[in-house]
Amino acid sequence: MRTFLSLLARNRLALWGGVVLSVVVLLALITPLLPLAEPDVTDTANRFKPPFSEGALLGTDHLGRDLLSRLLWGTRLSLAVGFAAALIAATVGATIGIIAGFYGGRTDNVIMRGVDMLMAFPYILLALAIVAALGPGLLNALIAVAAVNVPFFARNIRGVTVSIAHKEFVDAARLAGMSNARIILFEILPNVLPVIVIAMSTTIGWMILETAGLSFLGLGSQPPQADLGSMLGEARAALITNPHTSIVPGAMILVIVMCINLLGDGVRDALDPRLKSGALSRPMPATAVDRAEVPAAQGDGLLAVQQLQTQFHVKDRVYRAVGGVDLTVEPGQCLGIIGESGSGKSVTALSIMGLVASPPGVITGGAVRFKGEDLIGAPYETLRSLRGDRVAYIFQDPLSTLHPLYTLGDQLIEAVQSHHRVARAEARRRAIELLTSVRIPNAESRVDSYPHELSGGMRQRVGIAMALANDPEVIIADEPTTALDVTVQAQILSLLDDLRRERGLAIIFITHDFGVVAQLCDRVAVMYAGRIVEEGPTKAILTAPAHPYTARLMACVPELGQGRRRLEAITGLPPVVDKLPAGCAFAERCIKTRDACRGGEIALAQSGARAVRCIDPDVALAETVA
Amino acid sequence: MAGYILKRLLSAIPVLLGITVIVFAIMALIPGDPATAILGSFATPENVEKLNRDLGLDKPLVAQYFIWLGNMLQGDFGQSFALNRPVIDELLERFGATLILAGTAFVLCSLFGVMAGVVSAARQYGFADKAITFVVLLGISIPSFFLGMMMILTFAVSLRWFPVSGMWPIYGARDLGALISHLTMPALALAVVATGVIARLSRSAMLEVLRQDFIRTARAKGVPERRVIWRHALRAAMVSIIPVLGIQAGFVLSGAVYVEIVFQWPGVGRMLVDAILKRDILLVQGGVVFVAACYVMFNIAVDVAQSLLDPRIKT
Repeated sequence: MRTFLSLLARNRLALWGGVVLSVVVLLALITPLLPLAEPDVTDTANRFKPPFSEGALLGTDHLGRDLLSRLLWGTRLSLAVGFAAALIAATVGATIGIIAGFYGGRTDNVIMRGVDMLMAFPYILLALAIVAALGPGLLNALIAVAAVNVPFFARNIRGVTVSIAHKEFVDAARLAGMSNARIILFEILPNVLPVIVIAMSTTIGWMILETAGLSFLGLGSQPPQADLGSMLGEARAALITNPHTSIVPGAMILVIVMCINLLGDGVRDALDPRLKSGALSRPMPATAVDRAEVPAAQGDGLLAVQQLQTQFHVKDRVYRAVGGVDLTVEPGQCLGIIGESGSGKSVTALSIMGLVASPPGVITGGAVRFKGEDLIGAPYETLRSLRGDRVAYIFQDPLSTLHPLYTLGDQLIEAVQSHHRVARAEARRRAIELLTSVRIPNAESRVDSYPHELSGGMRQRVGIAMALANDPEVIIADEPTTALDVTVQAQILSLLDDLRRERGLAIIFITHDFGVVAQLCDRVAVMYAGRIVEEGPTKAILTAPAHPYTARLMACVPELGQGRRRLEAITGLPPVVDKLPAGCAFAERCIKTRDACRGGEIALAQSGARAVRCIDPDVALAETVA
Repeated sequence: MAGYILKRLLSAIPVLLGITVIVFAIMALIPGDPATAILGSFATPENVEKLNRDLGLDKPLVAQYFIWLGNMLQGDFGQSFALNRPVIDELLERFGATLILAGTAFVLCSLFGVMAGVVSAARQYGFADKAITFVVLLGISIPSFFLGMMMILTFAVSLRWFPVSGMWPIYGARDLGALISHLTMPALALAVVATGVIARLSRSAMLEVLRQDFIRTARAKGVPERRVIWRHALRAAMVSIIPVLGIQAGFVLSGAVYVEIVFQWPGVGRMLVDAILKRDILLVQGGVVFVAACYVMFNIAVDVAQSLLDPRIKT
């Protein structure tokens, strides 16, 4: 709601800019019809009359000319010149850009070299050079300002054109025998037009400023005709004695350019879909919490997740990514969480330490108890002191999860120093020790490498080393082996297993791979559409899955040495979590569905060490417990 | 590293040549006879012819270009008619003043711009963000010459904090204190627009980076938020901010012309405008080539800085 309001506020600003600008433009348009004094008639007897004097609302200038009249005529001129310059620059620049981008090859090369050359000039310097050649004058100033902006348009439009020129619809047009000219006009141009409009709306303010600047220097409009810039330039001599003659045109330039910029931002936001709906909002240090009641503490697990609910609020839609999940893990134990992408397993893991990106994430219910202390809604400093110290994360894809511009050593040292006051040399020794412990060869020299200099498997080991930096009690591993090939994957898994045994680590291991679960986990929880559908000892579930979903998920995994078994994909897709059906979320895809499945809430039925959320489990749990 | 710098320097040669070609081509567009423009309409035909010969204007354009280029390479930028002294002497004398002004403004706009952008992004949609966004909008909308005039009215005439104009006091010592008090207003006036542009870009670069996975990793490690923002995020964002600093350096360097006029700063910009109005062509040509060449060199320095900052760039 707050993001929505501030977005609205931004649009309101754009609206205000639009309104004020329209008034100014309208005044400029009807200036010839208004009952104003002649702008260029001098009356030296009445020079420097102050504002609000008889017959001259804004006063008079150094030659006794009516300032209001000169202001409106000047505004008219400045707007016309600025707009014309923008239009010329956009037309010429876009033409060059489209030709370069569409034809490519040598044409592109030659054109873009020239454009680069022009861009090597400091902007205003080039305009000065052009005016120097053409001579002072408003038309020449216009040409100069338009010319120096051409490279900007050419480069932008070329980039967009290149990305379009090889799309299917252009190829199709080519195959249909359309001429290049027709393709450019009817296929390319409509697609680059929004970019041209955005570029124009962001540069027209500049162009008005620049032409005003050239006029201010005496290189633009020549007396007696005056645009806003030359009014300001003429008034400068009397700045100290009669400041109003300077303030009037200067303030007008400011108002016009500011309105154009406001409006330009609005146009850009509206036309650039990436910026819509606050998509570019940064995640806060901890996930937002908005929960009504806190579940009472139960048991004394090392880490217990109780009735956790995490949602994503995007505009007015609510995605229930996690819909009431319970988990516990004890020291030395490994708990697997398995499910398809989008089942909520990663969000559950990230919720534990408040690392779900927020906005849009919100934790709306439940508790996460670490040694009995509830972490949901805990002060940021409490969370921070636990993160990486007692509870550490290992993430998937370490190329994007390690900072690309810091050495491994720096990142490991930082992990240590965030929680312990140790000297840098000491922390560095620790970093090398950590790298050695995850079996990275030549740790002494590797410590000064950057992440991009390592292989995927090595980077993953660094991720593990970083998680181990402060001897945590719990490690949450979010698909740490998914991006790796099978042999490396096996090495990483055995490494984690050793660490668990040696250090008594509790591990929560998130994966979509039953093979990995079988190798590493004591217990496993199967998630579907944000809820746990089955939970129990790994061996029991692997030999006799109770929930039809678990069974189908296992059937997707080919097993070695099992002969030719048919790989069965699950038909259909998981439900979208903003419109969950009543009853069983798997009912749509299940082969055993009956009416009762859609009847209403199905509880997670506990029986001994196992639990299942199904009214017709594949095996009766009581049988398997023994 | 030395190899990389050498490579960048070599790649600047065609750019510098291109600059001279463009400047020469633009000047060749001058309508009418330059000699008449220089000597005025009352010049005798003999004088015009002599001047044309002196300037080498009786030769074909291509030959003229190479003569001009060859002379420039030997440090001879020709003779200014209006000032009656070698162009290079005038340039070197003026360029120091511009460098002090533009350099200070560049440091100011980089510092304030990046800081404002970072704070704005870290407090997105908060009060600080809205306040900064508004001030930045004001900053990029106000012409530097108008801002300079208003600063003179407020801080020099009314409050008497700073001298009205010039680079040095007319009487009194030319020491650092005097320079700073003369420099403050023009440097600020020049820095404002660039500060706004840099702040806007830094904000969006920071927002882009803060969404990356490695920021989540830093937070998961328990790195304090202040450090996450100012170290992890800013360091990564600098990769896209630095090229913009390079572009803004060009704006500051050439935008100095307005501020030099308003504050009567004895720099290259003011010299160029005078030269244009007096049609002192060799001075304009030399000045433009000189400043543009300096800018090209500065951009090489920016590239080198970029490669130092980003180990992924092959050096």
